Amino acid sequence: MTFLDIPTGAQFIDIFAAAILVTAFLIVSSKSLVFYVRLFALQSLLLGGVAMLVVFAYGETHILIAAVLTIILKAIVIPIVLWRIIDRIKIRKEVELSINVTVSLLICGAMVIFADSIAEPIRNSKQVLNPIAGRVFPVSIAIMLIGLFIMMSRKKAVTQIVGLLTMENGLFLSGLSITYGMPLIVEIGVFFDILVAALILGVFVFRINRTFDSIDVADLRRLRH
Amino acid sequence: MFSVLLGIPLIGAVVCGVNTKRRILEVATIATGVIALATSLWIARTVSEQSTLTSPKGLLFVDALSAFVIIIVAGSFLATALYSPEYLGRQVQLGTVSQKQLRLYYGLLNIFLFTMLFVLVSNNLGFLWIGTESTTLATAFLVAFYEKESSLEAAWKYVIICSVGIALALFGVILTYFASSSVVGSSANALHWTVLMSVAKKLDPSVLRIAFIFVLVGFGTKAGLAPMHTWKPDAYGEAPAPVSGLMAAGLVNVALYSILRFYILVHKALGDAYASDLLLALSLFSMVLAVPFMLVQKDFKRLLSYSSVEHVGIITFAIGLATPLAYVGALLHMLNNSIAKLLLFFSTGSMRGVYNTKIIRRVSGAMHVMPVTATVFILAVFAVTGWPPFGLFVSELTILSAGFGSGNIWMSVFFIGVITTIFLGFFYYASGMVWGEPYRKQEPAESDTMTQLLLVALLLLLLILGVAMPSGVSDFIQKAAKVIEG
Repeated sequence: MTFLDIPTGAQFIDIFAAAILVTAFLIVSSKSLVFYVRLFALQSLLLGGVAMLVVFAYGETHILIAAVLTIILKAIVIPIVLWRIIDRIKIRKEVELSINVTVSLLICGAMVIFADSIAEPIRNSKQVLNPIAGRVFPVSIAIMLIGLFIMMSRKKAVTQIVGLLTMENGLFLSGLSITYGMPLIVEIGVFFDILVAALILGVFVFRINRTFDSIDVADLRRLRH
Repeated sequence: MFSVLLGIPLIGAVVCGVNTKRRILEVATIATGVIALATSLWIARTVSEQSTLTSPKGLLFVDALSAFVIIIVAGSFLATALYSPEYLGRQVQLGTVSQKQLRLYYGLLNIFLFTMLFVLVSNNLGFLWIGTESTTLATAFLVAFYEKESSLEAAWKYVIICSVGIALALFGVILTYFASSSVVGSSANALHWTVLMSVAKKLDPSVLRIAFIFVLVGFGTKAGLAPMHTWKPDAYGEAPAPVSGLMAAGLVNVALYSILRFYILVHKALGDAYASDLLLALSLFSMVLAVPFMLVQKDFKRLLSYSSVEHVGIITFAIGLATPLAYVGALLHMLNNSIAKLLLFFSTGSMRGVYNTKIIRRVSGAMHVMPVTATVFILAVFAVTGWPPFGLFVSELTILSAGFGSGNIWMSVFFIGVITTIFLGFFYYASGMVWGEPYRKQEPAESDTMTQLLLVALLLLLLILGVAMPSGVSDFIQKAAKVIEG
């Protein structure tokens, strides 16, 4: 069942992937926790869109469930949970940075170039590549790296969760781009794990807030050596 | 067989979920352990007769290697189930642990066993990943069990670091799927280990090279290989002692098993020393990093965590040597190290219960207070630092002779240097804990009889593995080592 012809589909996928990368950059430049969560929701929605395009343009129907799950879980459920956390525990809504925005953006820009060079061996691989892989795969690696960077450079517990989830969005995109997604049964298991991980981390944020009176991860420094 | 193995811990978890009576929780968990161990021995018997065992749809699969690790995990779980009543019992009496927390503890312990066994019987490498991530999630609340500042901090670090690590491993799995789907087509079969092995030579080597790095870093984080080990001292230090023991004896081997599966595949596909060289590099780093941290340690649980980093390094070193003898040594060391770690975490856990501290200097003269536990502890310290007549002496000697035999002279000399230094540091601290002048007046408070019996039995097991290895065990390890050879 193909509703789109493949070249149009590929064009849309390129646009969506670029938009995902833009949301990752916007997260890095954002100073408000609320924006973090909104941008993450938008990013997941776009990712779900890419998955939908793979379903309808390439006829890879097995990804449909994963696409729907992405939209429901990552664009709706997890953002609502994070939103509740921010709201309920009345934390200061600004993100605390250990690296300022300008430098962060420069580092992320360098990461995109680096991601492109990591993707090189895959692009040059002898295997038959999907038409979208050459362009979207480096983008997915860049998103993973930016997610990792968010986790390392932003101090709030919620920002670390968003960083982790961004990394996993990058992973899903990389799977979509080079193999049209993992086998469904595996994909569902991965989703379940991510959801549970996000919920557990959410519970920890509540508890950390209760015992430390802040959710600044920089306060977590009692254990050394 | 698979349904029994995977079903039992789930039933155990449900039973623990609906009960709050302490006795029922304890007995249900011990029963899970007994049945799981019996099933794993049964599986091992079947596997040694017909080499592999596959479920009808091919999703689950056991060979000698997985059966061997399953036995270690099930055995460690049984020991943990037998030790938990004594450890938590003391805290229930003191009122620091409530009935509700007990239910959570035993329920999660059963789920933890399920997730580990799930990894070990998965034929699909995607499932293997899902299972590994689930082990992190199952243990998250066990690490945070005491709900103190420090345990929350440890649990947070544990979940975040391991999730990032395991996310990188997923990227490795995706790349592996990419390599195989172009050979066997896009279906769940393309991630089946048995299928991958049959087409190993046709997989794109350049993709596998990248995939292996990510897999190694990812599962290496779970195994606690340096420099990805940073969660380990925190998590082991803050979790209740039986949980730390089960993580050091069970979970570590599950993570190493995942690395081994990919190693076997990549080693076969590439046919060169690429994978083993990477393992050697990481293993040397783990060994060398453990030394300074063990020499300056003030907290005995953290000391044991660094010992775990060191021994994961030793096992990885043995795998990286890539000779049949070294593989035998690696597997033997997995078994021996597990028993030694259980002994160390359990005996120090009992000391902690009595002295109410984790600080090494404050535990002193344990020989007067709890003679059996203290004796077992000091003997376990000798065992874990590689002294005869215990099992770890044999496995370390095997690894060492494989190292010299394969011409890795300087690495093997370095290995001797590391274990000698660590012995000196470890023995210095342990002797103070056991024989030193009592820090303050302490009434004799030996553990209950069941715990004493458990400790002595584990020590005897380690002794038997050192002096008179049953031929059944060594034959089975040979079979498992053959699997690693590919």
